Amino acid sequence: MRIEAIGCEPLLLARFNLENSRSLETYRRHGGYEALRKALTTMSPDDVINEVKKSALRGRGGAGFPTGTKWSFVPKDSPKPKYVVCNADESEPGTFKDRYLMERDPHMLIEGMLIAAYALGARTAYCYTRGEYKYLIDIMDQAIEEARAAGLVGERILGTDFSCEVYTHTGAGAYICGEETALLNSLEGLRGHPRMKPPFPAVAGLYGCPTVVNNVETLCAVPWIIMHGGDAYRSLGTEKSGGTKLWSVSGHVKYPGVYELPMGYDDMEKFIMEDCGGIPNGRKLKAVIPGGSSVYIMRAEDIIGKDVRMDYEGLVAAGSMVGSGGFIVMDDTVDIFESTKNLIEFYKHESCGWCTPCREGTDWLVKAFKRIARGEGRPEDAQLLLDLCDNIEGKSFCPLGDAAAWPIQSAIKRFPEDFKRHLLPLAEQERVPAVA
Amino acid sequence: MAELVKVTINGEVYEVEKGRLLIDVCREKGHAVPSFCYYADLALQASCRMCLVRIEKMPKLQTSCTVTVTDGMVVTTESEEIEKARRGMLEFLLANHPLDCPVCDRGGECELQELTFDWGNLEERFIEPKNYQPERYLSPMVANDPQRCILCKRCTRVCDEWMGEEAIEAGGRGVATIISAYGDWLNCSQCGNCIEVCPTGTLLDATYRHQARPWELVRTVSTCTFCSDGCQLALGARGEEVLRTVARDRYVNGINGEFLCVKGRFASHPFVNHEARLRTPMIRYRKGGKLVPATWDQAIEFVAQRLSAIKEEHGPQAIGIVGSPRLTNEANYTLLRFARDVIGTEHYTATDAFSLVPFFENMGAPLATHRDIRYAQTILLIGGEPEELQPLTGKQIRQAVRNGGARFILINSVPIRLKKNAAQFVHVRPGTEEAALLALADADSVEFAARKMGVETSEIEQVRRALSEAQGTVVIAFGELSPAAQKIVAQLPYIYADDRRRFLFHPLPLFNNSVGVHDMGLMSGAMTATEMLDAAGKGVRALYVAGSFLQQHLKGREEALSKLDLLVVQELFETATTEYADVVLPAASFAEVDGTFTNNAGQVQRVRQAIPPVHLSKPDWLIVASVAEAMGARFGIELSASAIFRDIAANVPAYQGLRYPLLKDESRPVQVKHEIAQRRDISGEIETLRATIAQADETAAKITETPPVGHELFKLGTLTEKLPQFHYLAAGNPKPENTLASSPLVQLTIDAALRRQRQEMALAGD
Repeated sequence: MRIEAIGCEPLLLARFNLENSRSLETYRRHGGYEALRKALTTMSPDDVINEVKKSALRGRGGAGFPTGTKWSFVPKDSPKPKYVVCNADESEPGTFKDRYLMERDPHMLIEGMLIAAYALGARTAYCYTRGEYKYLIDIMDQAIEEARAAGLVGERILGTDFSCEVYTHTGAGAYICGEETALLNSLEGLRGHPRMKPPFPAVAGLYGCPTVVNNVETLCAVPWIIMHGGDAYRSLGTEKSGGTKLWSVSGHVKYPGVYELPMGYDDMEKFIMEDCGGIPNGRKLKAVIPGGSSVYIMRAEDIIGKDVRMDYEGLVAAGSMVGSGGFIVMDDTVDIFESTKNLIEFYKHESCGWCTPCREGTDWLVKAFKRIARGEGRPEDAQLLLDLCDNIEGKSFCPLGDAAAWPIQSAIKRFPEDFKRHLLPLAEQERVPAVA
Repeated sequence: MAELVKVTINGEVYEVEKGRLLIDVCREKGHAVPSFCYYADLALQASCRMCLVRIEKMPKLQTSCTVTVTDGMVVTTESEEIEKARRGMLEFLLANHPLDCPVCDRGGECELQELTFDWGNLEERFIEPKNYQPERYLSPMVANDPQRCILCKRCTRVCDEWMGEEAIEAGGRGVATIISAYGDWLNCSQCGNCIEVCPTGTLLDATYRHQARPWELVRTVSTCTFCSDGCQLALGARGEEVLRTVARDRYVNGINGEFLCVKGRFASHPFVNHEARLRTPMIRYRKGGKLVPATWDQAIEFVAQRLSAIKEEHGPQAIGIVGSPRLTNEANYTLLRFARDVIGTEHYTATDAFSLVPFFENMGAPLATHRDIRYAQTILLIGGEPEELQPLTGKQIRQAVRNGGARFILINSVPIRLKKNAAQFVHVRPGTEEAALLALADADSVEFAARKMGVETSEIEQVRRALSEAQGTVVIAFGELSPAAQKIVAQLPYIYADDRRRFLFHPLPLFNNSVGVHDMGLMSGAMTATEMLDAAGKGVRALYVAGSFLQQHLKGREEALSKLDLLVVQELFETATTEYADVVLPAASFAEVDGTFTNNAGQVQRVRQAIPPVHLSKPDWLIVASVAEAMGARFGIELSASAIFRDIAANVPAYQGLRYPLLKDESRPVQVKHEIAQRRDISGEIETLRATIAQADETAAKITETPPVGHELFKLGTLTEKLPQFHYLAAGNPKPENTLASSPLVQLTIDAALRRQRQEMALAGD
């Protein structure tokens, strides 16, 4: 497990390897809560929002929406209370960056939440964590208590007029609760179903009040931006997406781990083959899912020698997406049919059941995949699978339907040979060589 | 007038009101858009994804049920892309849906079936095994086949939004989501609205299960015969048997939409063809003897002779005529004419639970329709318990608050369930609701009334302020009140008169034709029902009763009926009243007659004959007219329900000009024109009320417990007891050990045996 920054100074990982990194004392010794002091004492809420806008920070949860813009949607004159919610329901398969951020440097997140709360005029902030991260909630609770004791959370923070309470809340283990409106439902104690948009949470979110929901990594970047300025953050990355990004690397690489790369890191091949130590056991690279399970799978040919830039635009040009940065590397022992089957089983299990295409579609897909795996595939099944995905994509209530369809569509289109073999009658399958 | 916007749908330009839902606009303009989960006036769901349309400048197909129209919107509802999407959705919905239509109760009137005809593919591509879920019962009334569910969640939404009960909910996740109840057993008011709105055969009427196919049934739109709300329903009859009652809006479009309560839905028809119905006229030739079957001619002749004899001997006032708030206007009006014109007696009345005559004589504002309640800005409810006694009114109040943002003020001594929708609940001591009226009518009495009610004066001031600051429609609903209080409530609109508000009344009598029986004049006779019973054998020698006395009338007067020289009863069943009857005449039920009921909104609605009268029964008005004829009198009208109604229209001012053809359309009920009283002096009534309230106990404890669901609804009555399942509800609706195998009724027997066994064991143990 390697945790390091490559191609830039560690920004999010700066304090990761310090002794007792999660304590308030260590955090403050290394400049912690100075950004909060700076914001509270020298900046107006609008200044903070402008600084974040300037930084070109984009949401790290997967959608990549510009954070400053999202904050500016919160109506300032609303008489209702406003809320900041940290989305720590990190459940995208292949993603494990938030977990380390909270485990090693919880105060960075708390500071980010407080600055956001100040910018938005919120007096309450929630950290919604997935149920499986129980131990992280204990860490967060401890950190919040420490901060409260030091006058950093609660009434009159740092002696200013700004007061803000921070709470942790745990989900019950549903993937859908990572979707921001489902998260809000769950936080309110309702079933974890997504809500209709509009209204967007910025206008009517938690308890019908203006709410900003941000990913852990997004909020963790905020203190640095306030400390060093939006322009400095932007200059670390590209024009359209500033700063650094954490990549959770897993699968067939020598050194899996959490890597901090500047946005626009050049290039993916170097990252896999050199920074992550390449493919072990002398195997060849076969496929990469660069942004968590929901994005398009990439073929090795589209990476090797293709100079794929690792930022939002670069990955879209290469036929995939940054997503949550869950970087899954597969070597040539992997049967893409089997790996896709594994994914779709996940999406079926996690479909909330609200809308028809996602609920019934994922169930049907799993049944079809299982049938094919049993050797009862038919040549026309490839078309059937694509057609079912097409009937789900863009027609579901929330993006989970799309997320379930994309991996299958891309896998069938980009690795047809792995599917074709399974769609032959059993007797013939044996004659076609299986993957390496 | 709302702002108009231009919308283009399939190339045609329409001007429509801004802010309306696109799906409604499309359908109104003749562009069919399929849907399952969309249901007017319920929270939007957008989950079935059938109503997808293409809107220009939007990236994806949009659900037309969630989009409101804006100016310049360009919409396509028909294209290859949309067709593929809809066919895809339907294919998904059918994937795990068992194709057991031939054995499904809903087959033939199933929305999934219908949309499959429109949007289904020719071939089924789903070759995998379907997910299995066992059939089961969720209550004695609700059967459930979860496999057929398409999760449109209309059921959970009506349960929550209409009924405020949240008894039925979705459990599980993803494809394993299942509509269920807490503890898998419905402990609710058993309204069955979840059954009604279900577009598939998932939730089914357990009392009608496997009895008929929908296309075998002849449907007759009629009016409910239980409470005073007057819900419209459709009786489904096969041959001469009524098999079910529905309010499904493809058959009937009344004031209640698809809403019915447990009585209306499940108990409206089982008594009609019940074996206990009286089959022939019967005569008791000597007191204490047996009732002996007779022919109609004998019975009519017998009654006519005895009545004539008594009239001759004791004078006409010795004969009392008693109508019933359960009977049609036509029957009650005929009884009134019989009393006045044939017998010549002033002693006529009806067996209503309480009189509303003082209210109707002084009412200073019109009656509120149920639609008025739904869209009211302020609702004041004094006493009563509509969620148990007038469930449609309860639903309308709930929706007015939840969906319309109405301000609901509740004054009651009992914390009834509607309390949770109330903006203000004035919780008074038992029996002091009328003190609130005193305080509302008389500013000087506020402190006195508050002390007697056990509330703060500020609470009363708050209600007074709400009334004097209210804007828009203010509905005043009230339960049983004393005559003085009725006059005061009727005059409240004059006390709080202002241009900014419109007052409407919603009295809450108990029976389907309580208002009608007042309108016909039957409640304005010289004696009340209890006074007549008290006078039995003294001033009153004979009683001619259509229907039966209520328990509350007979209580403490059990012997009264035996003291009469003659008691004639027209009834459906043998009751406590027929026990002493000298002549019992079998009457036809509401399902077998034509006529009208007038509901608590003053709407006069049709009752239509669904089947011919069972056995030898006859409509009540016809029996009365036959007796009159045998006594040598003629009403001067041709004998038919519509002719009697014409006579009513000619003689009852509020009904002037009405004819049956005007009442034809149940979706546009006609409100009769009750006379609006002038401002009256109510100082006398205020004094009366002060005196009564002065006697109230200032130390009496308040009732703190909310009465359980069904404490009134599930009471067994002459009609409801004819449905076996109702006994199960009345027994507390216990969850059976096994909800899968068989009907809970079977389980009831088993359970009773088990209970006995346990009791015996417990006794032996001691």
